[in-house]
Amino acid sequence: MGSVCCSQQHGRADSDEIEQTAEIEDRIERESKAEEHIQKLLLLGSSDSGKSTIFKQIKLLFQNGFDDAELKSYIPVIHANIYQTIKILFDGSKELSQSFSDSSRFHVSDENKEIGERLSEIGSRLEFPYLTPEIVEEIETLWQDNAIQETLSCSNKLQVPHCAHYYIENLQRLSNPGYVPTKEDVLYARVRTTGVVEIQFSPVRENKRSGEVYRLFDVGGQRNEKRKWIHLFEGVTAVIFCAAINEYDQTLLENETNHLMETKELFEWVLKQPCFEKTSFMLFLNKFDLFEEKVLKVPLNVCDWFKDYQPASSGKQEIEHAYEFVKKKFEELYFRSTSPDCVDRVFKIYRTNALDQKLVKKTFKLVHETLRRRNLFEAGLL
Amino acid sequence: MPMLQPSKKNGFLGGGDGRVLDLDTAVKDGVLGGVGAGGLGTGVVEKLDLNKMIEELNLSEVPSVFICPISLEPMTDPVTLCTGQTYEKSNILKWLGMGHYTCPTTMQELWDDMLTPNKTLYQLICTWFSQQYVQMKKRSEDAQGRTSELLTILKKVKGQARIQTLKELHQLVDNHSTARTAVVDEGGVTVLTSLLGPFTSYAVGSEVIAILVNLTLCSDSKANLMQPSKVSSVIDVLNEGSIDAKLNCVRLIEILMDDKGFRAESLSSHSLLVALMRLIRDKRHPNGHLPGLALLKSVSIHNELQSLILNIGAAPQLVELIPFLNPECIELTLFTLDALSSTSQGKQALKDCPKTIPTMVKLLMRISEICTGHALSILLSVCKLAPEECSLVAVEAGLAAKLLLVIQSGCRQILKQQAAELLKLCSLNYSDTMFISKCKLTRTIQ
Repeated sequence: MGSVCCSQQHGRADSDEIEQTAEIEDRIERESKAEEHIQKLLLLGSSDSGKSTIFKQIKLLFQNGFDDAELKSYIPVIHANIYQTIKILFDGSKELSQSFSDSSRFHVSDENKEIGERLSEIGSRLEFPYLTPEIVEEIETLWQDNAIQETLSCSNKLQVPHCAHYYIENLQRLSNPGYVPTKEDVLYARVRTTGVVEIQFSPVRENKRSGEVYRLFDVGGQRNEKRKWIHLFEGVTAVIFCAAINEYDQTLLENETNHLMETKELFEWVLKQPCFEKTSFMLFLNKFDLFEEKVLKVPLNVCDWFKDYQPASSGKQEIEHAYEFVKKKFEELYFRSTSPDCVDRVFKIYRTNALDQKLVKKTFKLVHETLRRRNLFEAGLL
Repeated sequence: MPMLQPSKKNGFLGGGDGRVLDLDTAVKDGVLGGVGAGGLGTGVVEKLDLNKMIEELNLSEVPSVFICPISLEPMTDPVTLCTGQTYEKSNILKWLGMGHYTCPTTMQELWDDMLTPNKTLYQLICTWFSQQYVQMKKRSEDAQGRTSELLTILKKVKGQARIQTLKELHQLVDNHSTARTAVVDEGGVTVLTSLLGPFTSYAVGSEVIAILVNLTLCSDSKANLMQPSKVSSVIDVLNEGSIDAKLNCVRLIEILMDDKGFRAESLSSHSLLVALMRLIRDKRHPNGHLPGLALLKSVSIHNELQSLILNIGAAPQLVELIPFLNPECIELTLFTLDALSSTSQGKQALKDCPKTIPTMVKLLMRISEICTGHALSILLSVCKLAPEECSLVAVEAGLAAKLLLVIQSGCRQILKQQAAELLKLCSLNYSDTMFISKCKLTRTIQ
């Protein structure tokens, strides 16, 4: 009798459990089905290639952008950037005055030297004081110093962030007590990405939702152990590889290798990964505006990879010619690193300027179109 | 264009209420069931030369009563036999001249060889064609006007409106030669070319290319289109497009290559060749194989582009494709492979592909003399690279017998010389008896 009662109770408990398990499994199945429809995009590229800027742009374009609180959260970053910039310039001027024979160019005037030392000291701290009008004045005075301007012109040897000009120009505005950063300010802000950040969005086409959902991942760009975790991104719809093409004359922080050579190696490495055999590759040749300015002044052949470049003309035509050359080099590299059976994967090159929102929007529209057509093609509908 | 429904009445000139219609009205209302006899009949019918009109109009749907039963063409000089059947005069004369004394359609024997000119029918034919001609002219002028309008619109609109305009322009250009000339004359080519660039969407790009292939492009326009960013757009559509879009791209590239100022480096793009190979290997759309191979052949002539073709591994792919192609395609493929085999990289690639030699051996004396020539040339290049290894494979595949065939055939002298050379090369590794047995022949060879 007892055992019968027991078994009956067991029976009930069991069926409850079974029901629960079934429900959970059902949910898991539904969610994984939903997951399948989400197209995953992975942003890759070496450090400072503009990945995070693209990330922010997508956020601004297709999500609700940044709300007030988020915007305000960037203030410390922007201020930090300013201190870092001025520190780099001041320290840089000291370094250059030692290594250049014509060192008087880099000698900061005596009055400014004191300011320089003080700001440099601030810049090396981990936490920065809010920009006060006094500090702003000091920064501006130091900025005007000839030596600093000279140092700026040699910025390819130092790591002067691109935002330098922009922020210094807007110093007054940035130091206001009630300052709330604008979208542009946020786009210029430089902070090293650590870990992985992701956003989910749906590309909006001319005021109506188009139904596709994308999830964009931004992984940090440092030279860490990528090979250990890159395979977790297998099955990603597309890799968006950002390469800053203006860096052909810049050398890396960590060692003395050329930035662009580093990018080249990384690109090669990514292409050869077995997990990306079927993944589409979108190559963003980024920082095109800086490239435009630089290519007429600094010849491409300073970079080893481009040493066989022959300038053909001048002005706008030359810029286009140089750009085509770089594009071809990347294309060559792609096909060299692709085995014949992978040759069918989508590979497209886009020229971008991550800070220009309109351009990013246009570019992304094209990327979206390509991925859609690819899907239709694979479904046999094209 | 508003089209009148062809009348459902059965070909009576007069209709149900007994009125006698004049010729123009009858034809105008489509009583004869003609093609879209529109509402024009002003009564002014130009007496144009009938032959010229028929040729220019080139209509596919001419009323059956106007067609000669012998030639199935519209009649320009209808004559009636004693049986009552009407034929084109020249045709029936030929028939009778051949000695036949029967009516071709009824097979009756003729009791009278008189040919009565059928003036009534002639009048009807003339009037009907004139009407059609006048309508066509009007449509063409309309097309021209509309084309100008569209070009002006195109300079201003963006987005969906742009795509719609392009689609309509495409339709016009497809159907009317006046539209085509209008586009070229009014600077439309420059406008269209300016739409191609790094940010061209697929929809815009494919329509622009579809329009451009219909036009006669001057040398300047072609040079303009050869700018790198525009070539990239074309290559993109070639990579991603529908089969029709791809065929248009191939056609356009051919047009661009057909210019004195063409420089091969403008096409030195791996993506282009990958796209071409994809087109060539697409089993779902066999109509793309021939154009793709033709373009590949044109590309392979240029030395600078040969290494690119080899870089993407095209050589083994082409070899493996040959058994599935029709003769015309095989000839193009062989030409390409022959051109590639002139480089050391090409020779190596062909040698590395295990199917090269057996395939080439099979093709000897199989399809045409040209194919045999190419196959021989390829075999020579490959075998010269590694004589021992390759001749082994070749002989196993039955090369010797084929070569003897070539030598004994009516082929050009140079082919026979090549065959002899190859035979000598292969036989070097064998003793005479072994070689003969390999040939599976009973005759001795020199």
